[in-house]
Amino acid sequence: MKKPDLSVEIAGLRLRSPVMPASGCFGFGREYANHYPLRLLGAVVTKAVTLKPRLGNPTPRVTETSAGMLNAIGLANPGVEHVVAHELPWLAKQDVPVIVNVAGETKDEYVEVVRIISQSGLAAAVELNVSCPNVKAGGITFGTDARILQDLVQTVRKVCTIPLFVKLSPNVTDIRQLALAAQAGGASGLTLINTMIGMQIDIQRRRPVLANKTGGLSGPAVKPVAVRMVYEVAKVVDIPVIGMGGICSGADAVEFIMAGASAVMVGTANFTNPRACPEITAEIEQFMIEQGINSIAEIRGCIA
Amino acid sequence: MKVTVMNTAQIARKTWQLTFTGSFPYGEVQPGQFVMIRIGSGTEHVLRRPISIAAVKEDRLTIVFRVVGKGTQWLSERKPGDGLDVLGPLGKGYPLPHTGAGVLIVGGGIGVPPLYLLAERVRPLVQQLDLALGFQTAADSFWIDQFASLGNLVPAADDGSFGKKGTVIDAIKLLSEGRSPKSRPWDYVYACGPLPMLKAVKQHFAGHKVQGYVSLEERMACGVGACCGCVCQTADRTAAKRICADGPVFDWNEVAL
Repeated sequence: MKKPDLSVEIAGLRLRSPVMPASGCFGFGREYANHYPLRLLGAVVTKAVTLKPRLGNPTPRVTETSAGMLNAIGLANPGVEHVVAHELPWLAKQDVPVIVNVAGETKDEYVEVVRIISQSGLAAAVELNVSCPNVKAGGITFGTDARILQDLVQTVRKVCTIPLFVKLSPNVTDIRQLALAAQAGGASGLTLINTMIGMQIDIQRRRPVLANKTGGLSGPAVKPVAVRMVYEVAKVVDIPVIGMGGICSGADAVEFIMAGASAVMVGTANFTNPRACPEITAEIEQFMIEQGINSIAEIRGCIA
Repeated sequence: MKVTVMNTAQIARKTWQLTFTGSFPYGEVQPGQFVMIRIGSGTEHVLRRPISIAAVKEDRLTIVFRVVGKGTQWLSERKPGDGLDVLGPLGKGYPLPHTGAGVLIVGGGIGVPPLYLLAERVRPLVQQLDLALGFQTAADSFWIDQFASLGNLVPAADDGSFGKKGTVIDAIKLLSEGRSPKSRPWDYVYACGPLPMLKAVKQHFAGHKVQGYVSLEERMACGVGACCGCVCQTADRTAAKRICADGPVFDWNEVAL
């Protein structure tokens, strides 16, 4: 039989593969380009970018948990000016669409950063980070109140001339309300889930392991929750959904696609195996060959 | 890289050495670099463990590590012939001294292992190599004979159970006092150990004309510079350095200790 078609089209973006790294787990791509050509990815999704450089939280800010990890990096990044001058021009030469994750403490900051990224001509899309659990101001507060989220997306939409994805937090009562609010605000697509707030205690020292006390839980431990949320959201929105949460294998990725995701993001697995993304892509292809599936669309959302 | 365990041995309290062979760029290893080792093969452990390189020969590499949790426990239970998934060598190591320089190497506890490879590489370049190595007790010490064969070693134990009673600073003072007036003053100080020790060593040499290098450690996720999990701050505290990629070895004037 002929080779299955792994390409997907999401919000007008044509991606060669449905697999891309999750924001924050891939830097700006340089480190992983030593392991494989980045054009093997559907897209590169950058670390969160803010208006000014941020040092992030005190260390320790990562720790392993059972089948997962907690992080409290705190949006450390060199600031949008540096990113546009030094990171995006390099990424633009890698023959792969670039999705820039944008975070802010205020609505004005989001608008300003999105405007700069959009006007740079170096990004294929923006991913609005309204779900970082590790910063004191902004971040998650925009992602947990439907009215505030819709207003933010609406305002940002006006300065964003490229596709605008909104990354949703799982730390809410009903994620569908936030998904619908983002859609109403004009989002081109949704990405979910960000990390779940967790905590780990060092019982010998009687203190939290993370200096920030709490952090975002990611990895295989969160996968069933993530699959459920993608399933719920995909059922109620008309815009594409990109699924993530603990994907470590092609089989994991197929679960998300069957739950309704048009594409997937891989986060923590990059740390376990730097070649995780291309290996997962190959496993999806293998599954499609075995099952006689010709395209991703054929199985997307096949779970009733 | 998939490598094969040759042997493991417990060499001190909670402390093990493991030697592996197989496909690995042994020739590229610089002293102070580390490897990231995958724990298990399923999804229980998602983060590799960063472990410094203690010794390297043509086709084999030795690490020394302390068992502190489930990951290092698993590593200590490896048997000859077992496979290991290893990334490396990673990070930036210690710059070597100029020929004929005076060198002091200072290590504390589980910070001592990478200094062995460093001492081996430094030895042929210098006339005399001084070493101050501190451990909590004699039961925590290891490779004392190997280090002693490379230079003038003063070990120290906090409880006085062997060597000089006290810290590495006491050992450094003893080395200073014992130096012949004709010997070359220390041009380089290389240190690895707990942060309070690194601070104390830097403090001890404040005002001295020495080039100091320290190796830092922190919990890591990616180990290659992408996640920004393991960072320290520059000396002026205005920017971050990634310990895994920009370090783990830094000029001690470059970073905030």
